[in-house]
Amino acid sequence: MAMTVRLSEGRDGRLLYASRVRWARGIIILAVVVALEIYGRLFADPAFLQPPSEVLRAWFVTVLPDGRITSALGMAAFEIACAYALSVTFGAAIGLAIGSTAFSRLALFPLILLLYAIPQISFIPLFVLMFGLGAASKIAFGFTHGVLPVIVAVVGGMKNVPALYVRGARSMGLSKLAIIRHVIFPNIAPSFFVGLRLAMTMTLLGVILAELYVSTAGIGFFTRMFADNYNPAPLFALIGSLAAIALLFNGCVRILERQLSRMHSGAPAG
Amino acid sequence: MSRTTLSAHLIQFGVIAILGGAWYWSTATGSVSKLFLPEPAAVWLAFSHLITTGQFWSAVKVTLTTIAQAYAIALLAGIGVGYLVSRSRFLIDVLEPIIAGLFAIPITLFFPMFILFFGIGTGSKIAYGASYAFFPIALNTIAAFANAETHFLRAARSMGASQWDTFRHVLIPSALPVLLNGMRIGFFISFASVLGGETLSSVAGVGRNIALAAELMESARMYAWIAFVVLTAVMLNLLAGGLETRVSRGGDGAWR
Amino acid sequence: MNALAQPSGLNRVADRPVAISIRNVSQRYGHAGSPQSVLALDNVSLDIRRGEFVCLLGPSGCGKSTLLNIVGGLVAPSEGTVAVDGRRVRGEPLPQDVAFVFQESTLFPWYTILENFRIALKFQGVAKDERDARAMAALETVGMAGFARHHPTQLSVGMRQRVNMARSICVGTAILLMDEPFAALDEQTRMVLGEDLSILLAKTGKTIVFVTHSLAEAVFLSDRIAVMTARPGKIKTIVDVKEAHPRSPDFMLEPRFSDLRNELYAMLRDEIRLAMAAQRDPNAGEEASS
Repeated sequence: MAMTVRLSEGRDGRLLYASRVRWARGIIILAVVVALEIYGRLFADPAFLQPPSEVLRAWFVTVLPDGRITSALGMAAFEIACAYALSVTFGAAIGLAIGSTAFSRLALFPLILLLYAIPQISFIPLFVLMFGLGAASKIAFGFTHGVLPVIVAVVGGMKNVPALYVRGARSMGLSKLAIIRHVIFPNIAPSFFVGLRLAMTMTLLGVILAELYVSTAGIGFFTRMFADNYNPAPLFALIGSLAAIALLFNGCVRILERQLSRMHSGAPAG
Repeated sequence: MSRTTLSAHLIQFGVIAILGGAWYWSTATGSVSKLFLPEPAAVWLAFSHLITTGQFWSAVKVTLTTIAQAYAIALLAGIGVGYLVSRSRFLIDVLEPIIAGLFAIPITLFFPMFILFFGIGTGSKIAYGASYAFFPIALNTIAAFANAETHFLRAARSMGASQWDTFRHVLIPSALPVLLNGMRIGFFISFASVLGGETLSSVAGVGRNIALAAELMESARMYAWIAFVVLTAVMLNLLAGGLETRVSRGGDGAWR
Repeated sequence: MNALAQPSGLNRVADRPVAISIRNVSQRYGHAGSPQSVLALDNVSLDIRRGEFVCLLGPSGCGKSTLLNIVGGLVAPSEGTVAVDGRRVRGEPLPQDVAFVFQESTLFPWYTILENFRIALKFQGVAKDERDARAMAALETVGMAGFARHHPTQLSVGMRQRVNMARSICVGTAILLMDEPFAALDEQTRMVLGEDLSILLAKTGKTIVFVTHSLAEAVFLSDRIAVMTARPGKIKTIVDVKEAHPRSPDFMLEPRFSDLRNELYAMLRDEIRLAMAAQRDPNAGEEASS
């Protein structure tokens, strides 16, 4: 029939448009990189701006071979992982506790929101004073940043868990853990996943801030060294490495989300 | 006030009271080093002494003007770029993911770059704060104007409205809630990032004073500064929340 | 095929001037000849006289809304001409004496009802001191005067659509273009508003072009029904309904009412089947309904 043979304006048109969009985006990004390269090589003061090719070179020559820098990067990654793990576990536990009854939500949740409003950065000198210059203060600072979004997400999600199901499950003799797994989690899952993502963003922020603050060792030391010596290429390279680590962690969170939802996709959501 | 709300508030008050009591008790018995946790009385003394000094107010002025400048730049750039991009579907599809993608990278990472470019004066904090706050403002502006419900725009056209009429009576009111949300987020990001930048590396301002007090091991004074920041932040939050509820209620509290 | 004799006392429609003239209008999306193009309307011609109530009736996707938008100047036709009150209409600028009523209420939620009316009158170019009076009068006619200071979100869907209609009427245009305005309403509200519309027609002599899916609505309201084919939309036939306005609900009880309805259904049944088959085809173009 003539109708089925004629290709749709809808589908083909959309494919064409999507590829045009991708091309345009690619061209813009390329143009920016090329402009930076040209400007960096020919016009910029080398003390302030280096072209991307120099940054790349500095990455291979200055950053990668230097064991101290790579171990600082590794340490930062370790701190992020620890802080995040702590944030998620404690955040979920506290969130479950606060969110379990309407009254506890009413009473305790405003306190959490109060904490959220406080700019934690003003506490960084205190953290370093208390936990020292090593990894502990960074993990602690990352933890305090990351735990709040998880608590908020879990409590928010639990508002939607029908109390009826919890009571029903308890009357059937399910253990607390089983209730959490089969009744609570499927219902809070969407909100929880949003919280997971936000927690990673905040944990990254906390750890990075702490690292930058401590300028006597670690990342903070090297950023200060490169900045003070007007050495932009390795500085950009270092920052780029950290950005890559951040993106990697964000990717891990997405994988974690997928795994968790797959594990529970069998569980009836009610 | 209902009984449940009353008991809720009692519990909140109770928690804060317990924390306060723990603070007092732990410092009184000396079980915590005065360096980490000075006595409440010492902090109060430092605080009351602090706000009488000229140094305090000049520091606050520096921080406030830095925040104001950073926020103003972020608003102009964010709303400007956001509005222009929102005018074309193609531009939105091309540029919005780039902006959102850049925002996904912690901008804090680039702070040393700002120090390199602008030095440790207020310039670097203004640039850093403005760059950071630009993103949520621009993204929200794009969303606000792009998603202005087309059937209202079509209705205005069908009623014979001019471009300017449509802009004033349809586009702006329909975009306002999302726009304001972005502006609110942008403000708090300016606030926190300027403060953070000052704490990390600066010569003046509130953040600098916190870091300085820590360096000099003057814990009571550090706590006093922190308390000041916390109080200001909480008040601003309450203010912003109140403002937003007022604005998003058109008249009889009906809309959105 | 007219099912009834012409009642006496009717001003012969054929004597009235032509309000809307549609000549050989076609609407094509995408470039002609390319595999992605969609022909929404195919060579449609229709004359609508002043004071007539004409219905565009057809299956989904037949282009009736597109035709309405072309007449109102929201869309320019690919081929053919449209003239409103003798003046050619081709996209912008929109014809002056035309008002739309859409399916969803387009009352602005950020203004009160009264402010919505004022704004509509302002857009139409009505003088400032006249606006309030006309707004309140229009609200009185639909019995919603007490809600002038309310916001649209505080009204039920039915009330909103009544106010929506009143807004388009109060602007005082001679022509009203209505795109399935009652589709989202319950049957009782539809009947009441239908009667109101009929009264309005009798009282003001407005020219109304009405798009609908509903056969009963078409028969109850129209002087003439333009039955359209499935995409690409053509006018299959024009059915006359000879009954004076204002029409009472008793009209629906008369046997000629159901005869007309059945006649329409017989004509439309094949077109509806065709339209549904086209929708089921995953390759079918996704252009908006009608």
